[in-house]
Amino acid sequence: MPRKLQIELFLLDNLIWVILAGFFLLNAIITPMFATYGNMVNILYHSAIMSMLVLGQGLILIIGHLDLSLESTLVFAPGVAMLLATRWLPFSLDPVTAIILTLAIGALIGLFNGICIAKIEVNPFLQTLSMMIILRGLALFLIPLSIFPLAKVYTYAGQARTIGNIPVAVLIVFIIFLIFHFIMQYTAFGRHFVATGGNARASYISGINTKRMVIYAFVIAGLLAAVAGLLAAGRQNSVSNSMGEGMVMLAFAGAILGGASLEGGKGTPLGMLGGALLLGMISNSLNLLGVGVTLVYATQGALIFVAIVLDRVRIKVRNHLLHQEQVRRLIIQEQGG
Amino acid sequence: MDHQDKDAPSVVCPGDTALKLQDISKIYPGTVALHKVNIDVKKGEVHGIIGKNGAGKSTLVEIIAGIITPTGGRIFVGGKGYDSLSRIDARKKKIAFVPQEPQLILDFTVAENLFISDYTRKGRLINWTELYAKAEQVVKKAALDINVRVKAGDLPVSEQQLLLVLKACYVDESDIIILDEASASLSQKDEELLYRIIQERKREGSTILFISHRAEELLKVCDRVTVLRDGHSIITKNCSELDKDKLSDLIVGEEFCSDIEADTAQLKDMSEIVLSVENLTRLGVYHKITFKLKKGEVLGLAGLRGSGRTEIFKGIVGIDHPDEGAIYANGQKRRFASPAEALKDGIVYLPEDREKEGLINNLSVRENLILNSLNNVKKGLLINRNKEKKAVANLIKGLDIKVASPEQEVSQLSGGNKQKVVVGKIAAARPHVFLLDEPTKGVDISAKQGILNIVKNNLSRDAGVIITSPGLEDLINICDRILIIYKGRITGEFLRGELKENDLFLAVQGGVQDKCS
Repeated sequence: MPRKLQIELFLLDNLIWVILAGFFLLNAIITPMFATYGNMVNILYHSAIMSMLVLGQGLILIIGHLDLSLESTLVFAPGVAMLLATRWLPFSLDPVTAIILTLAIGALIGLFNGICIAKIEVNPFLQTLSMMIILRGLALFLIPLSIFPLAKVYTYAGQARTIGNIPVAVLIVFIIFLIFHFIMQYTAFGRHFVATGGNARASYISGINTKRMVIYAFVIAGLLAAVAGLLAAGRQNSVSNSMGEGMVMLAFAGAILGGASLEGGKGTPLGMLGGALLLGMISNSLNLLGVGVTLVYATQGALIFVAIVLDRVRIKVRNHLLHQEQVRRLIIQEQGG
Repeated sequence: MDHQDKDAPSVVCPGDTALKLQDISKIYPGTVALHKVNIDVKKGEVHGIIGKNGAGKSTLVEIIAGIITPTGGRIFVGGKGYDSLSRIDARKKKIAFVPQEPQLILDFTVAENLFISDYTRKGRLINWTELYAKAEQVVKKAALDINVRVKAGDLPVSEQQLLLVLKACYVDESDIIILDEASASLSQKDEELLYRIIQERKREGSTILFISHRAEELLKVCDRVTVLRDGHSIITKNCSELDKDKLSDLIVGEEFCSDIEADTAQLKDMSEIVLSVENLTRLGVYHKITFKLKKGEVLGLAGLRGSGRTEIFKGIVGIDHPDEGAIYANGQKRRFASPAEALKDGIVYLPEDREKEGLINNLSVRENLILNSLNNVKKGLLINRNKEKKAVANLIKGLDIKVASPEQEVSQLSGGNKQKVVVGKIAAARPHVFLLDEPTKGVDISAKQGILNIVKNNLSRDAGVIITSPGLEDLINICDRILIIYKGRITGEFLRGELKENDLFLAVQGGVQDKCS
């Protein structure tokens, strides 16, 4: 394959990062105070929580489903864990156990969603819509007033900084993304996961346990939402019942910007990270430019639209390039023979 | 509107042309589906079109019905010539089309399905009482016992198919009715009904195009018949001048000599039994299927569409579970709950429906090819990228798959190359048993030869292969043994050396054969 084509394909396959770089350069020129180290760290810090939801939603989109309940899991998992740790049990739990408990609750919610969707074949939209409302309602009931202050361990994950003033939360998020990128690219599990989303029937016939894959996807997403909940709680040093409200739609946006599609089988974790960062970067630059919060929201909506159109164009261009290469080879072959 | 101006009753003079096709061609990338087909259909006749699978019957009628645009030639309807018809044009010309697979809105009632095009067109409130009354009239006219208020999806497939015939014959009031293998999914009783309806419509002046690959049926129903072979119209003859043998000679064409390929087949060691199936039964689908497959053997399953071939495969690998019977693999009795379990015992299935069940279209060629054999390129828990690339490159080279890059989306390949990807995928898992369901379906001639070669020379080297094919000559070419499946039962066995296309052709249609072993 010619080098030029290779480069073109590389850029197309990592389009979100190309856009991100372009957007960065644009802002570096027009937005005051944008291209500073402090602001970069700021963007990363403020994208951390959202990026966990984006990854969760993205993985669910890859498997070919969707999950609305993630934003409620975000509050429910840490909320119940904290209540258990501080109020409900006669003895108090140590913070590490409470963290494990939070993750376990998130995973259990995902497991429940996954079993209902994969085994009972409930429509994923309806299943997770009902879970979203149930869990939010329970959070409102159980946590009428915020739980605070929290133990040091949580605030460490949510607030603390390490070398170079980089927040611990950002490190955690990066490590999680890298792990998932690795799993999806380099393990049979990851490949079976993507294949299931691409064509569940064909994957089943190929000998993949597709139902189990779907359940795994929801468990992982629940787990990631719980992580997001821990980060959010740690950041504000409390669990309040409004945490995560309205975030799930933006999580869709980030995942789709990162290359996921509603048809499933598309997208990579690193792409999702790019999508989450782009969302964060846009709201950051609009803030710095003095644009109101409501308009920021509208802009993010517009961005989703652009992302979807861009994705279609990207696929067309990619197929066109490869088609031309095929034609070129045929011509060479005929001249040679 | 135009479908309502019935004030000029059509005078039927036998001999007038209702429909004429002149030099109709249809070329797909890499394959010629139809080559200069000429057919002259007279008014008021039942005109049969017959040919083997892949002869071009369905393409031809879909061109007449306005579903496919031809590459060349002209269509004459009602004295006017057209380069192509759209579906709407065809409807205006009163051409009704009943497709092979029943296409109904399953959640709507029978009555609604019958009248759907009419009541949506009027744009007023629907008069339900009248709708049901009209539907009941139609059903009664056909002497069919169906409650028009039940949902179409609750009817057996046979009655669903009949419903479409009724719609075409009695509701649309069409002049030309195309029935594409209408009898394929009908029960015996409903078949008789269909023949009666056809005769009745004929008496009332309609022209009927009847497509089938069953010679016997065609001779019974039709006045004249046109034979298609490999996309060419061979001949049009009066049915009275034909009998079953003559017709099947015309369909098959020149006798195929099977003894030219007695090459490496003898050298293979065929002693080890890799799969044995005993009395496998799924009620109403297949019955007491028993056979043994040896290592190195290529076993053909020959049968018509709907004879149960695909279902037997799906039963073996655990997609649809059989009700009774036993499967022995690796010397042990097995009953697979899913294809994943079958794969563990070295049995892989290549589905007939490549797009829906074989490929993962939005993944790359590499990802599709390696999907079943990721374990072979793993190092510990992780996939070794270099090994993977090498394995994929070998497969692409070995199968001669034409791709720009292994990273190309598989949806961008031609049919033949797609099929090779699916074959490569299952071959890479190095199974003991291949179940290949129509691996040569819808691929061009060179890809077909390529795939058959791979089956004969590569796949069967260390494994047993069971194969079905849309064309009998493919099976004759590569099989060591052929089992005949008719209506879900094994009705005959042909060994290599006694494979004659004509005998097989009659056998798969349920004809009595003397060579039954």
